[in-house]
Amino acid sequence: MKIYYKATYTYKLYRMFIQELESFVTTLGNIALLGLEFLKGLRHFPTTFKSIMYQASRFGVSSLPITLSIVGMTSIIIAMQVAGEMVKQGAGNYVGMLVAILMVREEGVIMAGFAIISMIGSSLASEIATMKVTEQIDAIRVLKVNPVHYLFTPRIIAGTLMMPLVVIVASVFGILGGAVASNLVSGLTYKAYFDSVWFGLYMKDLNVCLLKSLTFGFVISLISCSCGMEAKDGAKGVGVATTKAVVWSFVSIVVLDLLFAAMFFY
Amino acid sequence: MGIEVKNLVKSFDKKVILEDLSFKVDDGKILSIIGFSGSGKSTVLKLISGLIEKDSGEIITSGGDIAMVFQYSALFDSLNVFDNISFALQERKDLRGKYTRKELERIVAEKLDLVGLSGIEDKYPSELSGGMQKRVSFARAIVTEPKIILYDEPTAGLDPISSTLIEDYIVRLKNETNAASIVVTHQMSTIRRTADSVLMLYNGHAVFEGTPEELMEQRTPYTKQFVTASIEGPMNMKG
Repeated sequence: MKIYYKATYTYKLYRMFIQELESFVTTLGNIALLGLEFLKGLRHFPTTFKSIMYQASRFGVSSLPITLSIVGMTSIIIAMQVAGEMVKQGAGNYVGMLVAILMVREEGVIMAGFAIISMIGSSLASEIATMKVTEQIDAIRVLKVNPVHYLFTPRIIAGTLMMPLVVIVASVFGILGGAVASNLVSGLTYKAYFDSVWFGLYMKDLNVCLLKSLTFGFVISLISCSCGMEAKDGAKGVGVATTKAVVWSFVSIVVLDLLFAAMFFY
Repeated sequence: MGIEVKNLVKSFDKKVILEDLSFKVDDGKILSIIGFSGSGKSTVLKLISGLIEKDSGEIITSGGDIAMVFQYSALFDSLNVFDNISFALQERKDLRGKYTRKELERIVAEKLDLVGLSGIEDKYPSELSGGMQKRVSFARAIVTEPKIILYDEPTAGLDPISSTLIEDYIVRLKNETNAASIVVTHQMSTIRRTADSVLMLYNGHAVFEGTPEELMEQRTPYTKQFVTASIEGPMNMKG
C-alpha cells in the first residue's frame, strides 16, 4: 500500500518548520551581509554630513516625545509600586538608588529601544520596503550608485550615534519622574531621593549603558534596513517586511540585553 | 555597435524564463520587445542593465552608460525633480563633486527642456501627473548621456494622449542621443510609432523577429494572435 506521507499533518508541520528555519537563516544572512557591506563602505565614508544630520533628527528629535513618555511613565510606575513600601520598611533612602540603577542599567535603554523600534525602526523598514517594491532601489542601482552606501550608511550611522543621546535624556527624565512620583506617593523628600541616586551607580554602569545603547542603535537600524530590503510583492510585502523588522529588532535587543547583563553584571 | 545579446539563458527556481535568446540593436535604432505577461520581456532589460545575473550567454555593449526607464517611473519620492534628475551626477562615486551647482542646474534645465517640462525643478514626484513623472524619469535616464536606453512598458497606465506624447519623446531621445534603445511594450501604437524592429517572446524563446510592418502582416500564427489579440492560437496565458 502506498503511503501518501505528504498529506499527513506531521509532514506539513515538518515542512513549515523547515520553511521557517530557511527564512530565519536567510534573514540572518542578509543582515550579516548588509552589516559587512556597511562596514566595508565606511573606509570611503560614502555619505554626506547633511544626510546623516537628516536621519539623526529623525532618530533623535522625532522619537524623543514617545521615548520620554514611555521611560517616564515606567519610572513613575516603578516608584509608585516600591516607594511607599520602602519608606514603610525604613529603606526610603534607597528609592532613588533603585530607580537610578533600573533606569541606567535596564529600563532607560530597553524602553528607549522599544520606542525607537516602534517609531523609527518600523518607519525605516517600510520606507526601504516601499522603495524596493516600487523599483526605486533598482533605479539607484541602474544609476550606478550603491544603495547600501546611499540609503543605509547615513541611517545606520545616525541610528548608532543618536541612540545613546536618546537613552541619556530618557534615563535622566526617568530618574526625575521617579523623584516626583516618590514624593507624591510616599512623601519622600527630593533631597533624600537624589542623595541616594549616586549610591548604586558606578562609572561601569554608565559605560555599559552607553555601549549598550550604541549597539542597540546599530542593530535596530541595521535590521530595519535589511528587512526592508527583503520586501517583495507590493503592499503586502511592505507590511510583511515591516513586521519582520519590528519582531527581529525586539527579539535582538532583548537577547543582546541578556548578553550584556551576563557579560558585565553576572 | 549598440547592443548584442547572444544565447542568453536565465531561469528562476528551476523555471526557465529565457532560453537561448539572441538579438542585436544598432546605435540610433529602437527594438521593441513584445509578448505575453510573464514571457521574460522585463527580465531581458534587467539582465542588460545588470540588475540580475544571467545564467549563461553573452551581452555585448559598445560601452558607456546604460539607462533604464521603469514601468512606474521609479522616481525617488523624497527628492524633488532637480535632485531626481541630477541624482547620478551628485551621488555616483566617479561623478560626485565633478559638477558645480550652477552646472547641475544647467544640465537639469537642459534635460527637462528636452522632455518638454521646463521649470518644474522644485516639484516633488507626488505633485506630477503619471505622464509627467514618466518624462522626468526620461530626463533622469539620459542625464549621463547613455549609449543604451531601456524602456520597461513606458506607456503603461497612461491615457492615449499621454502615451502618444511619451512615444514621441522615445523617438526624440533616440534622435538626440543616438543611443540603442529597447522598448518593452504591449501596445501596438508604441510599436508602430517607435520601433525599427520587433522581437516577440514566448516561453523564453523568440517566436518572431522583424519590422513593425512585417508584424502587422500577421504571417505567422504567433503574430496573427498577438495583433488580433485573440485567445485562440499557439500562445496561451499559462505559458
